[in-house]
Amino acid sequence: MAEVHVIGQILGATGFSESSLFCKWGIHTGAAWKLLSGVREGQTQVDTPQIGDMAYWSHPIDLHFATKGLQGWPRLHLQVWSQDSFGRCQLAGYGFCHVPSSPGTHQLDCPTWRPLGSWREQLARAFVGGGPQLLHADTIYSGADRYRLHTAAGGTVHLAIGLLLRHFDRYGVEC
Amino acid sequence: MAAASPSVFLLMVNGQVESAQFPEYDDLYCKYCFVYGQDWAPTAGLEEGISQIASKSQDVRQALVWNFPIDVTFKSTNPYGWPQIVLSVYGPDVFGNDVVRGYGAVHVPFSPGRHKRTIPMFVPESTSTLQKFTSWFMGRRPEYTDPKVVAQGEGREVTRVRSQGFVTLLFNVVTKDMKKLGYDTGPVDTQGVLGPSLPQVNPQ
Repeated sequence: MAEVHVIGQILGATGFSESSLFCKWGIHTGAAWKLLSGVREGQTQVDTPQIGDMAYWSHPIDLHFATKGLQGWPRLHLQVWSQDSFGRCQLAGYGFCHVPSSPGTHQLDCPTWRPLGSWREQLARAFVGGGPQLLHADTIYSGADRYRLHTAAGGTVHLAIGLLLRHFDRYGVEC
Repeated sequence: MAAASPSVFLLMVNGQVESAQFPEYDDLYCKYCFVYGQDWAPTAGLEEGISQIASKSQDVRQALVWNFPIDVTFKSTNPYGWPQIVLSVYGPDVFGNDVVRGYGAVHVPFSPGRHKRTIPMFVPESTSTLQKFTSWFMGRRPEYTDPKVVAQGEGREVTRVRSQGFVTLLFNVVTKDMKKLGYDTGPVDTQGVLGPSLPQVNPQ
């Protein structure tokens, strides 16, 4: 079986209007993939930047997959939330990106979006906070029911992901 | 006689903790240590170190330079748990106590070659304003009991931090027998080699 190591960090985020941000992340794979070591999902710390506007998380990701097929290549999905001084959390954006498919280190910029509600909900979000959220997190990385959504752009999440492949050449896979 | 196929690969890392950028603080020293998984073991070199205390230069650059060497070799059977270098930066506060100015961590690069990494440094933050004032006054800031926590992902969801500086590191990486074991680490990564040697505010 071929093996894939995903080793890297969720560096941080820029471009969000709120400043104390954290990110919930997860990896979704197809049926042919098996996670041998590592945690499939997690949540970063809450960072309030002193210099500049980039919130830094430096959250390590270390995953070891074994795979029998190329379908269902791992997808990293992210939810960026902001936390205010009272401890309340508000959604800032959803985003996903595929784990790169060529070995080596890659710098990824993942754009994010958040669902817009009706004009009443948007007004309430501006004053009181809150706002609509997705019921099922798999809409973040699947295209199935997206046509129902009306969304606005959030900021960008920056990742440095390295990929190590093993035995892919035995199966004739070029990447 | 054909050599037996290896079961262990080696990773040799050398380089330096080059410099730091902390606009608000001066007279800083740093400690580094390596955190790695269960399948890894250091075979040569030093796993930990403490640098000298550096002051900012008086000129326009305001450079804080350590130029502190790193030299370590690891052996492993499995890339899971790839070593990370964890840095902790400390400096004096207004009253002269030694307080933590930042923690940061980064994975050792895995493609052979020369790499430059600029990593953000953050400190844990007290939750309430009263705690912030008390810790400033008493000189006992929130710190991690074990800096290796910074290299882990679990348990971070309840921590609040403030990022307040950057440290630039240079690595030269050499690996042995990774190809023989079937691993493909990709092309030699030359992204970090170009560029000025003093860190810019925004990494990469």
